[in-house]
Amino acid sequence: MARNFTQRGYVVDGNIVFERRAAQGKPDRLPGLIDELVAKHVEVIITQGYPAAMAAKERAGKTPIVVTLSGDPVATGLAASLAHPGGNITGVSEVASELSAKRLALLKEAVPSVRAVAVLWNADDFGMSLRYQAAEVEAKRAGMMIVPLGVHAPDDFDTAFAEMTKKPPDAILMVTDILTVLNRKRVIDFAAEHRLPAIYEYANLTQDGGLMSYGPDVAAIFDRAAGLADRVLKGANPADLPLELPTRFELAVNLKTAKTLDLTIPETILVRADSVVE
Amino acid sequence: MSLPETRAATRPRRPLFQKYFAALFVAVVVPLLANGASEGWFGYRDQRVFLSQRLHSEATSAAGKIQGFLDDITDQLQWTVQLPWRDGMDERHRFDVLRLLRQVPAVLEITLVDGSGIERLHVSRVETDVVNSGVDRNNDPAVIGARAGRIWYGPVTLYAGSEPHMTLAVAGAREANGTTIAVVNLKLIWDVIMAIHIGQSGDAFVLDRSGRLVAHPDISLVLRGDDDPAAARLKQLQQKAIAGGGKTAEGSNAESRWVIAAMAPVPGPDWMAFVEEPTSEALTPIRAALWRTGMLLLAGALFAVALAYLLARRMTGPIALLEKGAEEIGAGHFAHKIEISTGDELEGLAQRFNAMAVELAVSQERSERIARLKRFLAPQVAELVEGSDQEALLDSHRAEVVVIFCDLRGFTSFSGAAAPEEVMGLLQEYYEALGAIITRYEATLTCFMGDGVMLLLNAPVPCPEPALRGVQMAVEMQDAVQTLIASWRGRGHTVGFGVGLAKGPATVGRIGYEGRNDYTAIGSVVNLASRICAAAEDGQIQIDATVAAELGEAFSLAPLGTRPLRGFAEAVPVFSVKPRDVDLATLPAAK
Repeated sequence: MARNFTQRGYVVDGNIVFERRAAQGKPDRLPGLIDELVAKHVEVIITQGYPAAMAAKERAGKTPIVVTLSGDPVATGLAASLAHPGGNITGVSEVASELSAKRLALLKEAVPSVRAVAVLWNADDFGMSLRYQAAEVEAKRAGMMIVPLGVHAPDDFDTAFAEMTKKPPDAILMVTDILTVLNRKRVIDFAAEHRLPAIYEYANLTQDGGLMSYGPDVAAIFDRAAGLADRVLKGANPADLPLELPTRFELAVNLKTAKTLDLTIPETILVRADSVVE
Repeated sequence: MSLPETRAATRPRRPLFQKYFAALFVAVVVPLLANGASEGWFGYRDQRVFLSQRLHSEATSAAGKIQGFLDDITDQLQWTVQLPWRDGMDERHRFDVLRLLRQVPAVLEITLVDGSGIERLHVSRVETDVVNSGVDRNNDPAVIGARAGRIWYGPVTLYAGSEPHMTLAVAGAREANGTTIAVVNLKLIWDVIMAIHIGQSGDAFVLDRSGRLVAHPDISLVLRGDDDPAAARLKQLQQKAIAGGGKTAEGSNAESRWVIAAMAPVPGPDWMAFVEEPTSEALTPIRAALWRTGMLLLAGALFAVALAYLLARRMTGPIALLEKGAEEIGAGHFAHKIEISTGDELEGLAQRFNAMAVELAVSQERSERIARLKRFLAPQVAELVEGSDQEALLDSHRAEVVVIFCDLRGFTSFSGAAAPEEVMGLLQEYYEALGAIITRYEATLTCFMGDGVMLLLNAPVPCPEPALRGVQMAVEMQDAVQTLIASWRGRGHTVGFGVGLAKGPATVGRIGYEGRNDYTAIGSVVNLASRICAAAEDGQIQIDATVAAELGEAFSLAPLGTRPLRGFAEAVPVFSVKPRDVDLATLPAAK
């Protein structure tokens, strides 16, 4: 994110200062963090994830907020519409939750034998829950079965793993938010251990050993978020800055992981893959 | 010489300098201004035309780039309609589509329709793929449009009221190849639009046929959807440009800056590509040119002032010198020289002035001399002497002269008793009567001695028969004075008048000192005449023998015998003139 600002002519700790705050998987800390930022009189708050965006919306008062990776802000009620978000919120939206369905379809295309899919998601995050619901709808349409594994805290992953060990699914779909990203290592390791194909949302998870991922280009999202924050810093009213949808989507495949799983990824997947780990 | 009054009276209300200055200034400045104004105006028009052409070509170039963006997509789409829909080809078609999606990020989804209009494949970046849905697409305007013209551009639609998208369709060369329908995310035109820069801070934007904003460097503006006031301003700009015959239009842009915009059609989708440049910036060269012209005009005007000043100075300077010279000459300073060396008529005029001064000096000297001569010569004789340049006549020489003395008798006792006014009045009458006669006879008056006068004839100007002339004059004088004496007697004054004449050689010439010169004769004849006069009684004219000898028969003379006169050793014969009854006016010397 800092690089995105320097590209726009800012000098970090020169004419721009970052105040970084992270809830580290504990959403109840968010209101306090937002209060801290407001007390520091920051000029704009950039949030990642729905809970942070919601906390900011509730507590940041008039401070402009640029949201990222918070699902579909219109569906979650963060914003009134894409064109006119209202209030002091702008940012990068996500394509309506149907991308979860797309992921499920890609998983099925990559591994046609998949029937039962465990969906791991942060059940506290409304945005992520909407994605789970979209996956559920697609599964029903495609004749697949969903094993819902909603988590609320890092400890919940053990429960989820126990569940999957007891009743193994054919594959895992991990709805990616901060909570699940922080625990990605455990999920990837569990999937490898139990030889489960898994699909994630962002390409970096494939690089970390996940089988595949499909989702918007996170770097591009952060770049646009920086662009919007830049406009706000230059005096634009956030209400005049529509929420932007991501324009580029990345399909990433890790063939090393596929090999360990004795999977042959079909050409129809590989031909559309933007990055392949070999 | 009332010089100050003259100067005050003729002091001009509008001096020549001002007139010349104004005339010369106007003569230089008016053509300069006319030229500058016309140059400025034509320059302005040329620059406006040039600006219009430049923006127009920029707009055409921008339209080309937008069309190029779409052409890249349709070129790629063409690949998907290269092969017919035969059995076993489905996988091939699918690969074409998947490859295309990787290569063309702007394409959001693709639908393949076979030759009979049935949907065979739908691949999206967001939605799940659909294979062989079997939907009949024969009535889809995209399919109809593409079949009619190979490439069909759909209307711009807003996804979720914000993100602009457009449907594109291409049909294969053969109907069996089917049709490909693609939904394009128009947000990606942003990269193209951002790369277009007009001048310093100008940019480009694109409107569709309905005036909806398709692309703008400010992506937020595009995403704000319809009914946005900023977008409405751009729509207004489009209407202005159309109303203005598709040329440039001026108006408020999205950021409410006043801009000049030009448009060019993007032929495929029937859009309009616009380029806009802030008016202030676009007109900078025009302003610079006008500024330059203005500066040149100012410099020209200043030059005209300097030139007019110098020329007016050159013209009026000599005239002022002439005026001053005229004043000086008028004041009698004939030695004053007007120094003008302009080499033109003014110099000639100055020379004429100088020559005139010299002539005036000569003339004045002459008139002064005449005035001096008139003191002792009759005016006509004085003119004659002066005019004939025979001043040598006045030089001392010996001449045979007739000397005439005359005076009043008993005047001294009268003047002692009478009032001064009475005395002077009487003398006035006496001399007026004598003066007229003396002038007429051109006698030379040497001096006044109270009530007496000494006159000369034949000097300095010789005259014929001076003795006769002298006696005739004496007779007239006696007559005139006797008439006066008669009237004086009436007033109770008893005076008489006697005249004496003598002729003989004498030395004549000027005596006196500077400014006080008299002409006189010196010799015994003068004494003789004086003595004879003294001896004459009232009403008598006495003459000496020489005069008597020259009179001839004109007068009857009464010899008075010889008389002893003081200063003369021997007694002198003296005669008394008795006028005969002759008409004096017929005598030749009386004319």
